[in-house]
Formats: sequence, structure tokens, C-alpha cells
Amino acid sequence: MLALALLLAAPTGAIGQKKGGVLRGAFNSDPPTLDPAQATDTTSSAVIRQIFDTLVELDETLKPAPALAERWTVSKDQKVYTFVLRGGVRFQHGRELRAADVKFSFERAARGKRPWVFEKIAGAREFLRGQAGEIRGVRVPEDLIVEITLDRPFAPFLFLMAYDAAAIVPREEATRRGAEFASHPVGTGAFRFGSWRRDDQVVLEAFRGHFRGAPYLDRIVFRIIPAEITRFNEYKTGNLDYTDIPTGHCRAVQRDATLKQEVAIWPILGTHAVRFNVERPPFTDRRLRQAVGHAIDPQAIVAGLLEGCVVAGKGILPPAMPGFNPGVVGLPFDRDAARRLLAEAGFPVGKGLGPISFHYNTGDLNQRIAELLQAQLKAIGITLELRRLDWAAHIKLVDGGGAGFFRQGWIADYPDPENFLTVLFHSRNIGAAGNTSRYRNPALDRLLDEADLMATGPDRFRRYAEAEQMILNDAVWVSLYHYTSRALIKPYVRGLERSPLSSAPEFLAPLRKVWLER
Amino acid sequence: MMLAELSQPVGKRLLALIPVLFGISLLVFILNAVALGDPARAMLGQRGDPELIAQIREEYALDRPLWVQYWTWMARLLQGNLGRSYHQQRPVSQVVAERFPATFKLAIAATLIAVGAGLTMGIAAAIRPASVLDHLLMGAAVIGISTPVFWLGLMLSLLFAVWLGWFPVSGYGDGALTHLVLPALTLGALHTGTIARMARSSLVEVIRQDYIQAARAKGLAELAVIGKHALKNALIPVVTVIGIGLADLLVGAPLTETVFAWPGLGRMLVAAVGQRDLPVVMGAVLVFAVIYVLGNLLVDLAYLLIDPRIRRE
Repeated sequence: MLALALLLAAPTGAIGQKKGGVLRGAFNSDPPTLDPAQATDTTSSAVIRQIFDTLVELDETLKPAPALAERWTVSKDQKVYTFVLRGGVRFQHGRELRAADVKFSFERAARGKRPWVFEKIAGAREFLRGQAGEIRGVRVPEDLIVEITLDRPFAPFLFLMAYDAAAIVPREEATRRGAEFASHPVGTGAFRFGSWRRDDQVVLEAFRGHFRGAPYLDRIVFRIIPAEITRFNEYKTGNLDYTDIPTGHCRAVQRDATLKQEVAIWPILGTHAVRFNVERPPFTDRRLRQAVGHAIDPQAIVAGLLEGCVVAGKGILPPAMPGFNPGVVGLPFDRDAARRLLAEAGFPVGKGLGPISFHYNTGDLNQRIAELLQAQLKAIGITLELRRLDWAAHIKLVDGGGAGFFRQGWIADYPDPENFLTVLFHSRNIGAAGNTSRYRNPALDRLLDEADLMATGPDRFRRYAEAEQMILNDAVWVSLYHYTSRALIKPYVRGLERSPLSSAPEFLAPLRKVWLER
Repeated sequence: MMLAELSQPVGKRLLALIPVLFGISLLVFILNAVALGDPARAMLGQRGDPELIAQIREEYALDRPLWVQYWTWMARLLQGNLGRSYHQQRPVSQVVAERFPATFKLAIAATLIAVGAGLTMGIAAAIRPASVLDHLLMGAAVIGISTPVFWLGLMLSLLFAVWLGWFPVSGYGDGALTHLVLPALTLGALHTGTIARMARSSLVEVIRQDYIQAARAKGLAELAVIGKHALKNALIPVVTVIGIGLADLLVGAPLTETVFAWPGLGRMLVAAVGQRDLPVVMGAVLVFAVIYVLGNLLVDLAYLLIDPRIRRE
């Protein structure tokens, strides 16, 4: 009897993974597309990652692991990547994968919505501008070998190969279906497309012919539930197996006798910040930016508005980012220093400054943060006028340099400091490409260029840390907090990875690893 | 006879629909043009690429003058083509058609609930004006009118789905009626109150008329007096309110659809506005406008049926 009880209580991994069952998750919006070439949002990506495979994938510790490529080599100069594909991999419609599919997929996706994933490959720019008929840096020397040559070394390149924009599609299906491929996707992934009722649900079925063997689950149902409180209610009534914790419920669920066992909070690669457009007066004056930076207390936002469920911002890089350096810190909350710098900038106690507009996109939390910032800046004599726009209008204004002081969040596409620092602060990325501060610092550009070209390791990360500190000292960006994923997961859901790249409610984790212990 | 009598006003109304739809389309187009935001940029998520933005703008003709864009859209519309969604890259007709059944079902159910409950409440209150029942019912009607749809939806969901488990929390299910109940109650509640109040006041007015007193004096049962003599005359203003209430239904639909994850046009329209997906916005607004105008046409036809004097005029 005791032995039986112990057996039942043993960790599930010791017993073995169970096969069968339906996993029920939810998204907050309908995926606009299921075509890897067209997706730009995490909802689409969450489905695409189950239907398609990439050459490599990132494990829970963010290390590249073999996927469609069983192995790869990198040339000494770090410019040529040679991928050897697994033999016998089949697409869901039956045909075997060939290296030519990889070339086709990359060239197709490069013309899609995320060309930056491929722009490091030699000849990609010419191809994108219509000056070449193919990307010459993608070669297929043999049936199962793909050789990719970069213009210059780029340490995070394998991360790009694990990104869902680089998913492999079958040429004939993608060509035959054209735009319809977005609604009838075919890949090599562990789940094949089942059905899609718009704004209601997407259903995926197990692909028994997956190269790793059939997944544990029979089916995945992604419901589309826009209101977070409704997702929460569906979870509580047992209709969802996992979901996100609604805003304002983080402490309550941790106090709830049942739900506290099901709470999962982990750091992800994102930062919520405020930025200055350094070309727009009065923020051309570094002392004024620094005064604002010193006047902001991220801890008050974290404790007061986010129930302590996120990490207060210090540097730019989130703590879960490889290369994160705790020694890099932004301006500390110090009202005396803020007042002094404000006076030095020619605005003692804010006199002569006039009201400053703070721009942010709609959302309850953003509104409350803006109001808190307004109160914090009032304490040193700066009057903030709150300007709220919906996201499309906000991003247009910010990209175009029309906002002087504004909110911006950033979630890394791949786990590398380059995806934060170079994208957001290099002078070649001014505007929509990421540098909405319109910050031009030749010393920073040099440092970032140097780091971007280096092989990954402490030396490279040291340079990024130096660059990050340089940006923070210049008060171009003030981090408020680093994002966490706040989820509820039923105890019988096993194998659901909590990677820093995976955030509730979408969960970008590979669901082929999930099984239901019930 | 009846059909011949109706064909002229119906035809007039349908003809009047053309300038109405044209005006609405122009208004929506202008509103979208003056609103900040760029569909091409909104398509690309957090990381925009200036070259790609320019390319998309060219591809979707967003770089052309506004009047050219409008004319292109209108020319396509005249050929029965609503264009393609920027965001979903599919025909708008398909995008709208997928959501229409859910919206239609919800609107019909909400209207039936509102009319059924509203009339019952109004009649019950009017029979004994100033009684406790009257005060209770009219109090409930005021609460119904003034309760925010989103909040009411959440409360109904919490009570009947989460706590009692009588109905599903959200979703369309496979079209099962149980999924429709809570969204329809939520959307219908606002309208119920308005109909109840109008039915009561109109009926109270009619009941005071001499011919009703005469009917009572003849010894007719109260139910027969109300049902046979009073109600028909009291219905005209109520029918007007039902027509006007269609607008409330359309306004309340996005919120109800959001709370109950109902895959209707309202939710889709709100999302499309956020994405600056102009073809979808225009398509959905046109459908809403047609529903509204046709709904009011039905109301006008109801006048003709209820009141023969209108037919003669």
C-alpha cells in the first residue's frame, strides 16, 4: 500500500511521459497569419513554432540545439555556417525535406515582414532591393547540406536560425497556395494545422510522422479570448490548462489556497522604459535628461502598480539576458541630484521649463504609470502633460521623432545584447528601426560595431556592458522595470518550458515536449 | 394588396440607403486619414524597417493621394469587391463573412430578449401604476440602462458561469445555444430597460383613454382590455425605441464580444481600427450601417402593420 502511494507521489519524469489528451491554451488576439514569412507578433509565432521547425532551436537555457539540422560547423573566420540536415524528415503533406527547401524558405521569408532576420547573409541586401535573383550567401552544395555565408561575423546568427521567421516551408505548397498558405500552413513541426475559426480558436493535431516521433499530446486548442479576466475565469473553471495572471491579481493568486500551487513567474527578455528624443529640445540637454532620470523611482512603480511581480529597472538589459552585468546601473532615484541638475540646466525648480508632454500608448497599466511619473516629476518642479494615443498612432509619432519624452517597451527577439543595444541605440537604426531616441554617439557606434563582430564570450559582453553604461550615463533611456511572465499552469501540465523567450499567455515554448499527467 | 402597399416605401428606403452608405464610407475614410498612425508600420510589430515600410506603402497604394485611395476603394466596391485586409492579407468580404453569423445571432437574440423582457416588464408595471411592482420593475429598468455593458457581462459570467456553472464562461462553442445566453442577456439588458420604460409610459397613457374605460365598463377582463385594445396603440412609440435601440446594440457589441470572447464583427472592427486596417474598418462599418438601416426599415414596416392610418397617409 505504502509502495503504491510512493509510486503515485513520485516525480512524473520518473514514471514516464503520458501520451494523449488535449492541451487547452488561450491567446488574447487572433493570429493575423500562420505564415512564418508574414508574422510579426507573438501570437502568430506561438502557433507557427508548433507547425514548423527551424534548422536549430533554443533549449530552456537558451543554448542552440539541433533541430532540422542534426549538426553544423562554423568556419574559422566565423562567416560560413554549414548545416547538415537530418535525413528522412518529412513535411506534413508527406514529402521529404531537402536543402533546397531551406534556400527557398529563406529567400521567401526575406521578402516577408522580418527581412532583418536574413540581412546578415551575404547578398541578402542586393536580393531585397531586387538587384539579385537569389541570396548568394545561401548555397545548397548537396541534397542535405546548406551553407550560409555572412557578410561579416555575427555571433547571434544561430539564434536567428532558431527564430520562427527562419522556419522551413515546402516550396510546392507555399507556391501553390500563395497568400492562402497563411491560413493552411504546412511544415515539418510536431503538430499539423487542424482548423481555425477566426477570433474563436485554432486547433492543431499531432503530426505522427514528426522526425522526433509523435508528440505526447493528441491535439492543442488555442482559444482566442481577448479579456484577461475572462481567460482567468476559464482557467478557474477548468476550461484552460494554462493562462496568464490578470493585471492586479498577482498577489491575490499567490495568496489563494489552490492557485498559489499553480503560479509560475519567471523573468523574460524585456524592459519597460521611458526614452528621450535627444534631438528635440529641451531634451538635447543631457543635464535635463539626467534630472528626469534621477527623479524617477522605478521601485515605486514595481511595488505600487505591479505588486512586486516584476524586477525594478537598473540597467537596460534584462537580468535574464546572456551578458547581463549587474555592475551596470542607471541613474539612482535621488531628488536632490535631480533638483541640482535641473537648476544647472537653467530651470531651477522647473522655472522656465514649461509643461513637458509625455507620450504613451493606451492601456490601464501605461496610464497608471504615466500618472505616477507625473507625480514623481512634479516633486522636482517638472509639469508633465500626459498624451495618450493608441499603439499605431504612438509608434508612428515616436518613430518619426515627434515625441520628446515617451514610453517604450522592448522584448528581445533573440537572447543577445546586440538585439537590445545595437538595435535601440546605434545611429544607423534611427527611427522605426529601433533608435527612437535618435541618439548619435560615434564612440558608442564603434563599441557596438566591435562587439557585434566578436565571437561570443566575456570580452564581447564586456564591450556591451561598457556601451550600456555609456547610454545610461547619457540618460537617453530610463528603465522602469524588467518584464516577467506571470502564468498559471495546472499541476497536471508537464514539460511546459519556462524559457526567458516564452511569455504567458502565448508561451512560445515547444509544445511537443508537453504531456498531461492525469 | 399588402405587398403592393409596402413596395413603394420599401423601395424608397432601399434607395435612400445608397447616399447613406456613401456618406458613411466617406466619413470613415476621412476619419481614418486624419487619425495618426500608419498601417504599414502597424503591420511590422515592435521592429519596423524603413525600407520595408516604404515598400508596403507602395504595395497597398498608401503613398497615393487620399482622393485616389478613396476612388480606388469606391471603384472596387462598385464591382462588389471590398478589397483586401492589410493585416490578414485576405479578402475583406471573407473576413467579414466569417464573423457575420456570430454577430447576427447575437443581435437577434439580444433583441428578442430585450423586446420580450422589456414589453413584459412595461405591461406589468403599467397595469398598476405607482404600485410596489411598478417601482421595482422601473427601478430594475433604470439599473439595466445605466449599468456598463462590460461590467454587467463580467458579473453575469461570474455568477452564472464561474460560480453556478450553468453556462459556459465564454466562446462560440459549436454554435450551441448555451454559449449565446449570457452574451445575449448582457447585450439585451441595456435595451430591455429602455423598452420597458417606454412601454410602461405609453401604456399608462393609453389606459387613461375613454375607449379603454368603455371596454372595462363592458365587463371585459383586464387582460383582454390590455391585450386587445390598449397594447396595439401603445406599441408605436415602443417600436420606435426598438429601432433606435439597434444603435445601442451595435455600440454594445464590441464590449460584449470582448467579455465573452464572442467572434463577432464588433470585436473585429475594434481590432482593425487599432491596426489601421482600413479596408476591414470600411467593410465592417458598411455592414453595420446596412444592418442599422435595414433594421429601421423593418421598424417602419412594423408601423404600417400596427397602424393602418400610416398606410393610408
